[in-house]
Amino acid sequence: MNGRPAPLACVGEVIANGLVSSAFHRLDIALDRVFTFQPGQFVMINEPGPLAWTFSRPFSVLAADDRIVSILYRVVGRGTQAMAGLAPGRPVSVLGPLGEPFPAPVDGQTTVLLGGGVGLPPVYAWWQRWGLDGDVACFGARDGGEVPWGLLGGPWRISVDSPGCVPAGRQATTGVVTSLVDRDDALRGGERTVLLACGPQPLLRAAADLARRRGWRCLVSLEEHMGCGYGVCKGCVVRVADGDTVRNATCCHDGPVFDAARLPDLAAEAGGADAGGAKA
Amino acid sequence: MNRPAWWRLEANEPFRLGPRMLPGRVWTASGCFGYGLQAHEFTTANGASPYAGLGAVVTKTVTPLPREGNPMPRLVETACGALNSIGLENVGFAAFLETVLPELEARGVPTIVSLAATTPEDFGPMARRLHERAAGFAHWHGVELNLSCPNVAEGGHDFGSSPATVARCVAAARAELPDRALLAKLTPNTADIAQLAASAREAGVDAVSAINTVVGLDVDLRTGQPYLPRRFGGYSGAAILPIALAKVDQIARGAGVPVVGVGGIATVEDALKFFALGAVAVQVGTAQMRDPFAAARIAAALGQWSSS
Repeated sequence: MNGRPAPLACVGEVIANGLVSSAFHRLDIALDRVFTFQPGQFVMINEPGPLAWTFSRPFSVLAADDRIVSILYRVVGRGTQAMAGLAPGRPVSVLGPLGEPFPAPVDGQTTVLLGGGVGLPPVYAWWQRWGLDGDVACFGARDGGEVPWGLLGGPWRISVDSPGCVPAGRQATTGVVTSLVDRDDALRGGERTVLLACGPQPLLRAAADLARRRGWRCLVSLEEHMGCGYGVCKGCVVRVADGDTVRNATCCHDGPVFDAARLPDLAAEAGGADAGGAKA
Repeated sequence: MNRPAWWRLEANEPFRLGPRMLPGRVWTASGCFGYGLQAHEFTTANGASPYAGLGAVVTKTVTPLPREGNPMPRLVETACGALNSIGLENVGFAAFLETVLPELEARGVPTIVSLAATTPEDFGPMARRLHERAAGFAHWHGVELNLSCPNVAEGGHDFGSSPATVARCVAAARAELPDRALLAKLTPNTADIAQLAASAREAGVDAVSAINTVVGLDVDLRTGQPYLPRRFGGYSGAAILPIALAKVDQIARGAGVPVVGVGGIATVEDALKFFALGAVAVQVGTAQMRDPFAAARIAAALGQWSSS
């Protein structure tokens, strides 16, 4: 599997679970062995035993430190509602790391990181792993309250849909997240620039459009409901161009990271590029 | 759970199924573990393998030609289970035979090939080509005919609910499959599953698998429309365990054919209930999706009892 770390199945223990902004929870889970991953990979989370949900829930890895794996989530349904109630000490089953990661940086290449809303973890993890060496990191949220300011240090460029709740001493630009780099004339790298994006569909469309206009390579991490997370159930297929043909690929195993140029849903004629901009 | 007083089986010892010795009685169910090739790198802290102790991987169903499957969304989680409408997406029989089955053999995965077709007579040529191509394979143990996938518009539900049609499918495959186990997977969406099982027996199966998914539907209250584009899906998971037990009981007491229990099994207790009713083996389906080690765990637990 392209040098991906071998996936581990285990039952860990919640050591911290709480809000890191008005909308995003961070869950830290202690495992029984060292956890290694590549930025962009994800884990499947569930309650062990008879309380298990039928399907585990996929979450991109935010960070890993020795035996602790951390994820970021927003409460959107039954599974994440249950997760928000997991107190420290509760067992959690973890399967991972899974999926195709973002690529590591290449000498002479500039990387632009673009995260929107709860799509932050893959680009955050890339920043944590590789740092910024002439690279650019951007994050967009609905408002200042939604931004996990404590996670995002000085180099991050922040955009918000509405300007409320930005803490004193921090800066946020009102507008779509792609505008944070669109106005940056220093970023003209052409083929030497790669854009890594994760967030809601309008953000991905805007990212793909920006990359097309600048001649950048664009890799996106897709979000999809998943049944298994490891490619066996075919419940999370996405349409991917393969030369002249379009075929199914599994988001969980073939992705979640795909080259935007291969995704018909993000093509120029799909129409979303200028329609709404990035919304977290 | 402690070993029940009535437990007599050696779950992880070879047992005879028709012309073939199967290596164990806990299998993975079709469609829930892919082709059996995507979990080889998985491990647990104590180094366990998801394949340890498995009697068979029943592959994702293969059809004569490749299928792209149904549009998304394909899965809906419900309170106690899930609806699926995958639509038999698969690489097609030729690619399966040339690339997938040899890799399963090379990896030593005990394999039962799940086949579906749009006419009963299509099963014969597929069984013959399997027999020819894989005659020397040590780990290919048999074929399970998927006669009951309710998702396929051009067959599906009605295809497998007629005893006469079931018999034609079985006879077509049996004629080309002299030395491997032949199973027919039966639909629960029928009035009399024991009659289907009896027809399958008379046409020459070595066992029937019961049950496939139950036809179900769920509504998205935001739109007032079914979640699944094709409206209906196959219902599986914990909720169908009692349905599966009832169907297995009807077959075990009325059809005179060995039965492999499948439907809602997630734990060793679930599996034991099928064995208590007389099942010769069990398959783990939906639980295998959230836990690639589910079947291996059950096999390990039963194996402990067998050797004690």
